[in-house]
Amino acid sequence: METVLSTNKLTKNFGKIRAVNQLDLEVKRGQVFGMLGPNGSGKTTTLGMLMGVVNPSSGSFSWFGEPATHHTRKKIGAVLEHPIFYPYLSGQKNLELNAMIKGADPAHISKVLETVELADRKDDKYKTYSLGMKQRLAIASALVSDPIILILDEPTNGLDPMGIAEIREIIKRIAADGKTIILASHLLDEVQKVCTHFAVLKRGTLMHIGPVDEVGKGEEIVEVQAYHDDLGVLLQEFVGSATIRKENGIFEVMMKDGFHSKDLNRFLFDKGIVASYLHTRKKSLEKQFLEILADHKS
Amino acid sequence: MLHLLKIDLKKMTSYRTFWVICGIYFFTLIVGAASGMEFLKALSRLIEGFGQQINITRIPLYHFPDVWQNLAWSGGLLKMGLAIMVVVSITNEYSYRTIRQNIIDGMSREEFLLSKVYTNLLLSSISMASLFLIASVTGLIYSPELDFPYGFTGISFYPAYFLEVFAFLSFALMLGIFVNRSGLTIILLLFSYLIELIIKENIDNYLPSIIPFFPLESIMSLVPMPFARYVFMEIQDSVNWGTVAIASVWTFLFNYFAYLKLKKSDI
Ligand SMILES: Nc1ncnc2c1ncn2[C@@H]1O[C@H](COP(=O)(O)OP(=O)(O)OP(=O)(O)O)[C@@H](O)[C@H]1O
Ligand SMILES: [Mg+2]
Repeated sequence: METVLSTNKLTKNFGKIRAVNQLDLEVKRGQVFGMLGPNGSGKTTTLGMLMGVVNPSSGSFSWFGEPATHHTRKKIGAVLEHPIFYPYLSGQKNLELNAMIKGADPAHISKVLETVELADRKDDKYKTYSLGMKQRLAIASALVSDPIILILDEPTNGLDPMGIAEIREIIKRIAADGKTIILASHLLDEVQKVCTHFAVLKRGTLMHIGPVDEVGKGEEIVEVQAYHDDLGVLLQEFVGSATIRKENGIFEVMMKDGFHSKDLNRFLFDKGIVASYLHTRKKSLEKQFLEILADHKS
Repeated sequence: MLHLLKIDLKKMTSYRTFWVICGIYFFTLIVGAASGMEFLKALSRLIEGFGQQINITRIPLYHFPDVWQNLAWSGGLLKMGLAIMVVVSITNEYSYRTIRQNIIDGMSREEFLLSKVYTNLLLSSISMASLFLIASVTGLIYSPELDFPYGFTGISFYPAYFLEVFAFLSFALMLGIFVNRSGLTIILLLFSYLIELIIKENIDNYLPSIIPFFPLESIMSLVPMPFARYVFMEIQDSVNWGTVAIASVWTFLFNYFAYLKLKKSDI
């Protein structure tokens, strides 16, 4: 697959602080790439360098296999951190300005306003918008040039649950169009739902990079409930149990490699117990994320 | 070039403050320039009131060719109004952080600066054109006789006036890019005259020959004050090309420093 972005030992120092440290990333066409990391781990700084607003201290990066220029940026739709617009201009005028800078067809504007459901407020001044509307306008501005790549830095920051779900739908729809998306977020659940790949940063250093669907591989967690007093003791007899926890009356059994819920079910059935509740869970990205950060703690 | 100018104008033309400041500026420029005769009449009435009899309405304020330099110099006094507009325009880009989004959207830093410089050129051109128009009209109205080409003497003060305005706007733009905050930039802009004055005063005793090379000094000297001629003093009544060269170099440097600053800073 074609490489869209690659960085080579990309580094940024702010005085004594090393915000980004020798970062090597690679993003391929069609990926939805999640960037994770605690506060201050260098996500925004990295994206700022990629979008030409932060000058790298050393290292380099290339978009589409070529050194970046401002022309490259016109093919990318990006919103970093906060929506940024002229407060005294209407949403429509702001987008017209974005389109002019990007050399985009202004006919797109009404379409992207529909996409983010802002069409009926387009003639109101930006400063009168609610936070959620500002976020939506920002996504609209990123889409206005029909970009090949979309960069979103915490696009659901401050949105209500419905807003978050809507933005997630928008992102999924855009991804389904074959666009490459780079998404920095703290909502690991979000990332797990929409991303195909992810990277973890910690104090500017890359800790992990890989596909999201590998996260669930390996151990399974099975939640069980049955009308039996000694279920906990029984479960310990099961050869496939690694660890067992009880939470809200439900047993969570972490399975050993190679064991699955059906093995547990059969074991219980053989003992004459019928489970009233049986649920298989993959390891969550959140868990893996915390493990990655903990592993490197030293 | 037109594209970048259009972008900057699009930012400004829906901005109320822009119209207010520009409105006041051009209104004062045009009305002020055209009403000098009325002012003299009022002044003479006032003096008569004190029992004196000088007919200052005889002063050929608006006669060709005097009118050229008289208005070019007077118009130059108002350039601070336009400079404040420029400061507001650039510092807004920092306080709203829109400069950041402009660059993310695909402007280069050079293009961003150029869009502002082109607007400065446009504002300077409109100032020059308005003033030139007023000078021509009032000259035709008030001159007792038309004697050309003698009447055109001093017309070269108009390109000089253009440079004066553009140089000062470049200075304001540079200050805005270095300081980023509107209030502080405007204060610095006002104080820069004072600072330069203090340096000039101190240097006057042992190195007076370098005074013409000071930036604001050279800008001010592009169109020298003409009114001393009405009390029979010698005045410089043509453009000094040395001053033009010095002011041009400063104008270039202001824009170049602004470019360097933009280039190397994180936005
Ligand atoms: N303009 C700046 N000047 C000085 N230090 C900065 C600047 N911008 C960022 N930093 C520092 O660089 C580090 C990385 O910041 P960055 O904003 O990239 O983190 P982040 O991963 O985006 O965090 P968050 O999740 O909170 O958004 C932080 O230590 C921050 O203090
Ligand atoms: Mg951030």
